[in-house]
Amino acid sequence: MLVGPAPHIHVRQSSASLAWGTALVLSPAFLWGLYCFGFDALVPVAVAVVSAMVGEALVGLLLGNMTLHDGTAFLTGFLIGLSMPPGLPFYIPAIASLFAVCLVKGAFGGLGSNWMNPALAGLVFALLNWPTEMGTWTWPRHMAGVAGISGATPLGFVHSRILAGSQSGDALGLLGAAGYSVSGFDSGVTGFLNNGLFRHFGVSLPSGYIDLLVGNKAGSIGELSGLLLLAGSIVLISRRMIRWEIPASLLVVFGGLAWVFGGLPFGNGFFSGDLLFELCSGSLLLVAFFMATDPVTSPSTRGGMLLYGACIGALTFVLRQFGSSAEGVAFAVVIMNCFVPSISRVELRRRTHSKGSDRG
Amino acid sequence: MIHAKTFRHGGLRLAQDLPWTGGLPIGNAFLPVTALIPLKQHAGPAARCVVQKGDFVREGAMIGKGERGDSAHIHAPIPGVVRDIRRIRTASDGPVEAVEISLQGSFDRLGKRVERYIWSSMSRADMFQTLRDRGVVEMEEPGRPLGEMIASHERCSFLVLNCVESEPYIRTEGALMSARGKEVLDGLAILQKLVSPGHTAAVFDVREEGERASILELLGKSETSVEACFAEPRYPQDMPNQLLAVLGSGRAGATPKDAFIVRPSTALAIYEALVFAKPVMERYVTVAGGAIKHPSVLKTRIGTSIGDLIEECGGFVDAPEKLVVGGPLRGQPVFSLDSPVTKLTGGILALTREETNRRRTEACIRCGRCLEVCPERLAPCELFRFIEKRRYGEAMANGLGDCTCCGACGYVCPSRIHLVEAFRFANKAMGAAK
Repeated sequence: MLVGPAPHIHVRQSSASLAWGTALVLSPAFLWGLYCFGFDALVPVAVAVVSAMVGEALVGLLLGNMTLHDGTAFLTGFLIGLSMPPGLPFYIPAIASLFAVCLVKGAFGGLGSNWMNPALAGLVFALLNWPTEMGTWTWPRHMAGVAGISGATPLGFVHSRILAGSQSGDALGLLGAAGYSVSGFDSGVTGFLNNGLFRHFGVSLPSGYIDLLVGNKAGSIGELSGLLLLAGSIVLISRRMIRWEIPASLLVVFGGLAWVFGGLPFGNGFFSGDLLFELCSGSLLLVAFFMATDPVTSPSTRGGMLLYGACIGALTFVLRQFGSSAEGVAFAVVIMNCFVPSISRVELRRRTHSKGSDRG
Repeated sequence: MIHAKTFRHGGLRLAQDLPWTGGLPIGNAFLPVTALIPLKQHAGPAARCVVQKGDFVREGAMIGKGERGDSAHIHAPIPGVVRDIRRIRTASDGPVEAVEISLQGSFDRLGKRVERYIWSSMSRADMFQTLRDRGVVEMEEPGRPLGEMIASHERCSFLVLNCVESEPYIRTEGALMSARGKEVLDGLAILQKLVSPGHTAAVFDVREEGERASILELLGKSETSVEACFAEPRYPQDMPNQLLAVLGSGRAGATPKDAFIVRPSTALAIYEALVFAKPVMERYVTVAGGAIKHPSVLKTRIGTSIGDLIEECGGFVDAPEKLVVGGPLRGQPVFSLDSPVTKLTGGILALTREETNRRRTEACIRCGRCLEVCPERLAPCELFRFIEKRRYGEAMANGLGDCTCCGACGYVCPSRIHLVEAFRFANKAMGAAK
C-alpha cells in the first residue's frame, strides 16, 4: 500500500506521455517524407534521433539523473531530423541534435530549465553553420525533377526572385514561368473541386495549391505535407496535448500580414497577398503546431501565449519578406524565446494584482 | 433544464475524466466487536482520558473530556470493557491516545424508544451547553467544535447548508439529504436559533432533474425559510470561497468570515444532540473506489475499523494502490486497515492503479495547466519555484496564503509535482516564523 500526499487521483496525461504522444502524432508526416525521399529521409531522421538520445544519456550520466524515458530527447531529435533537407550529410543532423540536447537543454539544467527551444536551436545552428547543405533540396521521387529550380523549395525560389527584383504576377505565376510543373494529382483534385464545389460560389482554385498542401514539392522531410500536419494539429488540440492559443494567434497574425502586405513585392497593392501559398509553404505549419508550442519555452498564461504567438507571426512575416533566407519562422521562434521570461513576469504580476481587486 | 450557478475562475470538470455513477446504496454497518476510539477527533488538543483499563463503559458514556474551547468530549460508541489505552495513528493526526473498547453488556439506546426533547423551548445557553456536552464538532476536517464555531459567528449574516459534493466518489452528504433530509433541516433550524443569521441558504449540486424536484419538495415541507441554490458539478464547488460565489458575491456579507457554513452531517449531529440528547457516536461514511466491490454509504459507529467497513462492502475486487480517508483530492492517506472511523471520516476510498495514475515526479515543463485550474487564481508552478529555493516570503507575496489546498493543481500536473504538499509545508513554515 502506498502512502503519498493528496491529491490521490491524477489525470492520465504525464509529461512523458505528452512528448511520446507528440512524436506519434508527427509520424504520418514523417512517413510521407519517407515515401517521397526513401533512404535520403530515413538517414537524417535516424541519425538525429539517435544522437539526441545519446546526448541525453551523456548529460544524464553527468548529472546523475537519467531522463531518457521522458521522451523529450527523442522528440527533439525527431523534430530536428524532420526539419532537415533530405539527403544531406549525416554529420549535420548529428551535430545539430547533440548541440540541442547537450548545450541548449542539458547545460541549463535539463528539461524544464532551458530557455530556448532545443529543436529550433539545433535547426538554427545547422542553418547558420552549413547554409549550402541546408539549402540543397531534392524533389520527391515520384515527381519529375524540374529544370532550373531543382535546387530550391517553392518558397525559397519565390523569395529569391523577389530579392532579385522581380515585379510581376504572383508566386505561382513565377513558379509556372520557371517551368514548375503541376502533378497530375493536383490537376485532378483542383478540377474536381472547381467543378463540384467552387463553381457554385463563382470562384475557382488555380492549379498548384493542392501540390503545396499535400506535399508534392521540395522541402524538408517533415514539412512537406501540410495536410498531415494539420490533421496532427487537430489531434494535439482536441486531446489537449497543446494549447490552441499559440498556433492560432501565430497563424492569424502571420496570415493577416501576408494577406495585407504580401502582394506589395509583386506590385499588386494592398490586400492581395497570396495567403494559401504563404501558409502552405515552408516549415510554417510544422513550427507553429509542433515547435512553437513547446511548453517549456513558451508562456504559460493565455494572454502570454496569445502575445507570444502573435509576435512570432509578425516576425515570421518580416523575416520572410526582408530576410536573406526564406525560412523565417525558426528564427522568429528563437528570437521570441528570449522574451518569454519577461512576458511571464508581466503576466504573473497582472494575475496576482487582478486577484486582489477581484475579491473586492 | 437545470439553471445551475458556479464560481468564476479555474476549477475542474471531473465528470469528463471520471464517469458520474449516481447515488450509492445506503445501509447500516454492523456494530464493531471492538471499537478503537481516538481521543483527538477535533481541531484542538486531545481530550483527557477519563477511563481506565478494565473499566466498564455504557453506550454514550464520556471517555474523554475536552478541556479547552477548541477541544471536544469523546463518548463511547458501544457499551463494553476498556481493553487497552494506547497510542495510534489516525488519518488526520500523528500518534494520539486511543481507547479500545470490546463490546459487552447491553445497549442503552440502540433498539430502545428514545425520549424526544423539545428544542424550541430551550434557552440559547442551554443549547450551547448541550452541544458541548454531546461532543458535537464540525463533521469534516479540521473538526472545529461547534461551540467555538458558534461563538465566533455571534452575529453572522449568512447560514449556509453545504450539500455540494464536488469531490468525486464521495456521496455521504447527498445520501444523508435523501435519507434523513427532514432531520438535517431541523438541525439547520436549530442553528438558525443559535446564530440568528440574516439569511439561510442550502446549496446543492444536482446532476439529475428528479433530484432537484425532490429537494425542492423537501425544502417546501420544512418550517424554516431556506433558499435553495443549485450549483454546477464542478470542483472545488464545496469550498467556502467557491460556495459563496454561487450565492452571489454582490450580496452583503458573502465572505467566508461572516458566513456560517455547515455540512448535513454536522446538522444531523446537532439535531440528534438536542432532540435525542445523543452524543456523537456514529456517522455516515462513503466506502468507494475502484477496488471496492459494492461501493455504498454506511451508517457507522465511530471506532469501527476501516478494514471492517471495506469487508462489509464486499471487500476488494482489485488490488488497491492507495487507501484514503476523505475525498480523492483533499483526503488523507492511511497506513493501515486497522485505522478507526472518527467524527471527521466522511469517506473511505480504495483506489486502484488506474485511478491514481501515479507516476514518478518529473521536472516542471511550465505547461500552465495548474494556472488554468487554480480556483484562487494563484500561479502554483511559480509558487513551487519559490518554495523550492526556500524563498517563502516571495511565495507569500504571490498569494501562497490564499491557497486552500484544494488539490486541483496537483490533479492536473503532468509532471506529478507534489504542489499541495509543498504549499502546506511552506505555509506551516511561515506560520512558525511569525
